Amino acid sequence: MSMSVPKPGSALILLGHGSTVNPDSSTPTVLHAESIKRRGLFDEVVCAFWKEEPSFRQVLDMVESPDVYIVPNFISEGYFTQKIIPRELGLEGPLTHLPPRPGLPARTLKYCDPVGNHPGMTELLLHRAREVAPGVDPRAASLVIVGHGTSLNENSGLAVKEQVASIQARGEYEEVLGMFMEEDPFVTDWQKHTSAPDVIVVPFFVSDGLHSYQDIPVLLGIESEPGAAASSAAVFRRNPYPIGGRRLHYSSAIGTDPLFASVILDQVAGFDAQHPQRA
Amino acid sequence: MGELLITGRYELRHHLDAGAPQDSLAAFTDPAAARDIALYDAAGNYRPLRTAPTLKRGWRLSLATIEQLRDALDAFYPAMLAARLAFDQGRLAVTPLRETLARQSGMYAVTRKISNPNADALIGTFCRSDCACLKTILWPIAADIPITSLPPDKFHPTPDPAIIPLLCAEACNLLVARAREVVKQSAP
Repeated sequence: MSMSVPKPGSALILLGHGSTVNPDSSTPTVLHAESIKRRGLFDEVVCAFWKEEPSFRQVLDMVESPDVYIVPNFISEGYFTQKIIPRELGLEGPLTHLPPRPGLPARTLKYCDPVGNHPGMTELLLHRAREVAPGVDPRAASLVIVGHGTSLNENSGLAVKEQVASIQARGEYEEVLGMFMEEDPFVTDWQKHTSAPDVIVVPFFVSDGLHSYQDIPVLLGIESEPGAAASSAAVFRRNPYPIGGRRLHYSSAIGTDPLFASVILDQVAGFDAQHPQRA
Repeated sequence: MGELLITGRYELRHHLDAGAPQDSLAAFTDPAAARDIALYDAAGNYRPLRTAPTLKRGWRLSLATIEQLRDALDAFYPAMLAARLAFDQGRLAVTPLRETLARQSGMYAVTRKISNPNADALIGTFCRSDCACLKTILWPIAADIPITSLPPDKFHPTPDPAIIPLLCAEACNLLVARAREVVKQSAP
């Protein structure tokens, strides 16, 4: 996988959620942007965030290339990718044409699929599951993929449900389940929904930020209150957690994997394949 | 620029460290160090608002190229170089607070209920330069409703050409989030 064709005259904007309370939330997005920038494929590479600066509203002033690829570093095709981002950036669909402004050329905004839609996500989730529970036989283990889920958008949990279906189809794990923070089935009920002696939980999130590092451990019962931020604590090093006669294995979020930079570039290549340039 | 002093080709340090001996400051040369320096204040608290007057001291960052300088300034003060250029070219879009709040959805939809006096009072504490945010506010509460809770110089970019201004073209998400708290507290 991965695009290696340079895109002269193009900017890449990576959009992340960010956080006003957790300094680690935006870190993977920033690191992926730096890694892509070093490859020199784009004239400009910048990040923007919902909860940090630069904001979604500010970022279009930060690039001046005629072609602007916008990739959401979000897992699900949901509330943020379908409502917030188009609204904040003034997007009209996959392609938005902006007239020239003083100091700026006419620009075409190219709104790519979020990283969570990429087919490589399944492999990244399975890789995390194997990594966090070495020596555990998957045929005697429950694998739980955790997403945010929200009543604000019915598609929000879809990314998790699709991954669960595709991992189930491989038949490697005794059972594979999707659970959510704010949608049924709730992650707090994991003991009720799972049956194997080993339960492996992989958060389908882009960073080890507030949700995957501080909130979900509390919902799982491995922490009694939200701990310190990931950069200053060690939740992932104390696996497995013995709870209710079972062994719980909790992994870090997949979005910190360096392979994500390639996934981002694939989303750009995928956009161009779907929207070929007119000659 | 803000609390930064930019000297020579190209060195950054806290402006209060202007006269500090070179070897008394921790030396950095990687532009990526800018984010690490800007991420926490002197007490180790996370700085979600980079234009808060809480940049820590005791470091200097030497950069090899103008591109690296730009990257570092973007890390210390995100989007501020771009806002200044857009402002100079007459294309910086300024959005009144009412428009910002009216477009919110989900958990922030409730912010449109904040009263004008409560919004003015909130801005008077949340945006004040001495302890909260160094930016110059360009937006009003509404087209005919100015902010009255901060001194006049909060609304006018410095005329000093040696200072790169920090321009606020629209209320940030932190202010919107705080407006939500104000509405929730004042609800019956």
